[in-house]
Amino acid sequence: MRLKWCEGFNPNAKSGLKDVRPYLKKRKSFVEVIQIKKGKDIKLKGAAEKQVEELDLPKQVAIQPPDFRGVRLRLRVKEGDVVKVGTPVLEDKDCTQVHVVSPVSGKVVAINRGEKRALLQVVIETDGKQETVAFKKHPAENIPLMSHKEIVSCLLEGGVWPVLRQRPFSKIARVDQKPKSIFVHAMNTEPLAMDVDYRLNGQAKGFHTGLDILAKLTEGSVHVCFHKEASSDALANFPSSSKIKYHRFDGPHPAGNVGTHIHHVDPVHKGEFVWFVEAEDVLRIAKLFVEGVFSPVKVVVTTGEGVEKRVYKKTIIGAPVSHIIGEAAKSNMRYISGSVLTGINVGAQGYVCFYDSQITVIPEGGKREILGWALPGLNKYSFSKTFASSLINKNEDVSLDADEHGGHRAIVFNSVYDDYVALDVMTYFLLKAALSGDIEEAERLGILECDEEDFALATFACPSKTDVGGIIREGLDLIEKEG
Amino acid sequence: MKKLAKLFEKGGKLEKLYPLYEALDTFVLTPGKATKKAPHVRDAADLKRMMVFVVIALIPATLMGIYNAGCQIQSFKGGDCSLLSCFGVGLMQVLPIILVSYMAGGFWEVLFAVVRKHEINEGFLVTGLLYALVLPPTIPLWQVAVGISFGIVIGKEIFGGTGFNVLNPALAARAFVFFAYPAQLSGDAVWVAVDGFTKATPLAVVAGAGKGGSAIAALAEAGYSFKDMFVGFIPGAIGETSTLACLVGLVFLLITRVASWRIVAGCALGLVGTSLLFMCFQGENSLTFFSLPPHWHLVMGGFAFGAVFMATDPVSASATNTGRWIYGVLIGVLVVLIRMVNPAYPEGVMLAILFMNVFAPLIDHFVVEGHIKKRLAYIEGKKG
Repeated sequence: MRLKWCEGFNPNAKSGLKDVRPYLKKRKSFVEVIQIKKGKDIKLKGAAEKQVEELDLPKQVAIQPPDFRGVRLRLRVKEGDVVKVGTPVLEDKDCTQVHVVSPVSGKVVAINRGEKRALLQVVIETDGKQETVAFKKHPAENIPLMSHKEIVSCLLEGGVWPVLRQRPFSKIARVDQKPKSIFVHAMNTEPLAMDVDYRLNGQAKGFHTGLDILAKLTEGSVHVCFHKEASSDALANFPSSSKIKYHRFDGPHPAGNVGTHIHHVDPVHKGEFVWFVEAEDVLRIAKLFVEGVFSPVKVVVTTGEGVEKRVYKKTIIGAPVSHIIGEAAKSNMRYISGSVLTGINVGAQGYVCFYDSQITVIPEGGKREILGWALPGLNKYSFSKTFASSLINKNEDVSLDADEHGGHRAIVFNSVYDDYVALDVMTYFLLKAALSGDIEEAERLGILECDEEDFALATFACPSKTDVGGIIREGLDLIEKEG
Repeated sequence: MKKLAKLFEKGGKLEKLYPLYEALDTFVLTPGKATKKAPHVRDAADLKRMMVFVVIALIPATLMGIYNAGCQIQSFKGGDCSLLSCFGVGLMQVLPIILVSYMAGGFWEVLFAVVRKHEINEGFLVTGLLYALVLPPTIPLWQVAVGISFGIVIGKEIFGGTGFNVLNPALAARAFVFFAYPAQLSGDAVWVAVDGFTKATPLAVVAGAGKGGSAIAALAEAGYSFKDMFVGFIPGAIGETSTLACLVGLVFLLITRVASWRIVAGCALGLVGTSLLFMCFQGENSLTFFSLPPHWHLVMGGFAFGAVFMATDPVSASATNTGRWIYGVLIGVLVVLIRMVNPAYPEGVMLAILFMNVFAPLIDHFVVEGHIKKRLAYIEGKKG
């Protein structure tokens, strides 16, 4: 069965001004490029081709509460309940208006719990009908007339609120807050990540309606951050609203991280909040307003040397990894929802996480080599210059496995971090402050601008194998706990 | 292998000796541990690799030191001065010092790792060799052991171990033996391993020369040429005599980016600048040292060795880029100040570096405060 309910995602369509609203302007020349110098691209083997494959509806999907970090969720359904697309499945204990909704119509078949009965998964079996809960429709031209309150209640009711996240802390945005600005994350530089520009091609109308809706949520601006070379109709033109601002970024990873964008466009200080949203979710928001339905569509790119067919696959939120990949699971491979730098090891039987749009499959680590510290290492990949491979200028894609390549040690080489962090922070001193629980010092050093993912490359490069991002995350958790 | 591993793992009979097992095990084979969470892939370089590279960088200085120690003995005794015999004689003299340093230091490292239940840090491979190379070849072996014990325990472990030490442990050890056993560590009699033989080091020659004279002339009179000092055929501590060998090590460390070029450049800059300044104030009644040109300063004493291998220890040095410049320059300045203005002891590298080790956190404090101010200004600026 082909998915009939999908919105018209057709990146191969010719982008042009014809189908775009008349008030749109040509962008490009206006927008200055923010050049990111620090960082590095890991050219991993297994990039996806720019080709879209439409998948059948999966048999099962899962909503996974751990995807929504920092929020206490409780169940709104029990095993055996029948749900539609848009039926609330989970709600926020602290703000019951916020719910996560079902992406399919069908029956709740399992509720999986972990230690201390923590909710891990709500598994829903699809009935193939994709019946939807009908929400109120708001034609695009009416949106400028709607009030902030109306917009918020519409987002909450339609179940798309969780796509809005806040910085600091990277968790679902608070309903009672007005952010100082909203960032639309329309580029991704993580290894093998999706080309967001390609994803948005042919989606100008929905994307721009979504931006108009977001503009209603803040007193400040909506900042759309995308790659310098972006050429899709959604990003090549923009609405003339003065609240929507466009920023072009260029440079190595983490030039595409939302943290990098916030730091260079509108940095957060203590007591301030910005929100951010993935570009694809902007389409979801627009769809809710214009058509009155929760759109479960998600495009996931399958990457890594462990996958044969590496393309863009159009599926739905919460789809199983095995369904998306469509190949027999291989042994000794690691199945990651997300990229190798920030993703989660979900296993071949797992499900794609809520905010992810990528599956990476790489060889599992754990091989032992004789005298690894002494050999020249022609085939070793390292940012350092301590292997013979650094003498050969290889432009080839590299094959990396999930190995730590060394034991944990105390930090000795403290100068390796800053070259790979694109924020203006002193990583080593921030680490020390976070480790010692010195909240005040950590805040002065800029921890509130940071998130785990901004330090992924620093963790990668550390010869002492320190989990830099993890320490920053613990520091942030401590700050959140202490209020 | 797996059976052996079980003995040392949790619940095994030798559980307590796990750090020792881990060190030996990962010496032979890479740990082969899969990552637990993101980032799922990691850089191939680990601390073992980085530390081994410092040891490799020390090889030229070690070999030259061994050869020179032998050469000094043979040339005094008038014996066979061939490469092989000099090296052999030197090896007999130097190898026991290196071995004792490693054994005594290693004992403490393992002991603390076992008690504290953490892995043995490879930094010890560097400390043990560095310490041996800054000793005179005549030092009694028990003093080698006492010194390294002090360096490791008081210089490093009481602060919490590797990564937390304020002082460079090898230099702390050297400073301890220097002040505890001055008779064996200073003077003119300790640099050549022949009983009763005294020969002043170049620095001592200049320090001892009469006022207002030419330093280069005094050195020439004592039989020291620039070339000898650069290549390293002079009496001195084992590894420090050859500036050439240190430079080879430096090039290696800079190509592999293991050492900070800022620190080394800072040291050289500070030394050259200060000695030039003193040259400007040279007068008839000034000390002979005032007439010593900067490039002679660079090849004398332990400066090259200290700047390349000791000052660049990332843990005890400044941890900010601006701080590294300041730290390096001040080491250079202090080396010249101690050499020239302090009449008691002409060699100032060890004390200059230790002094700056103590000040490095203070330098970093001001650099970090400056950074915080700049950050706040940036955020405020973005608002406007």
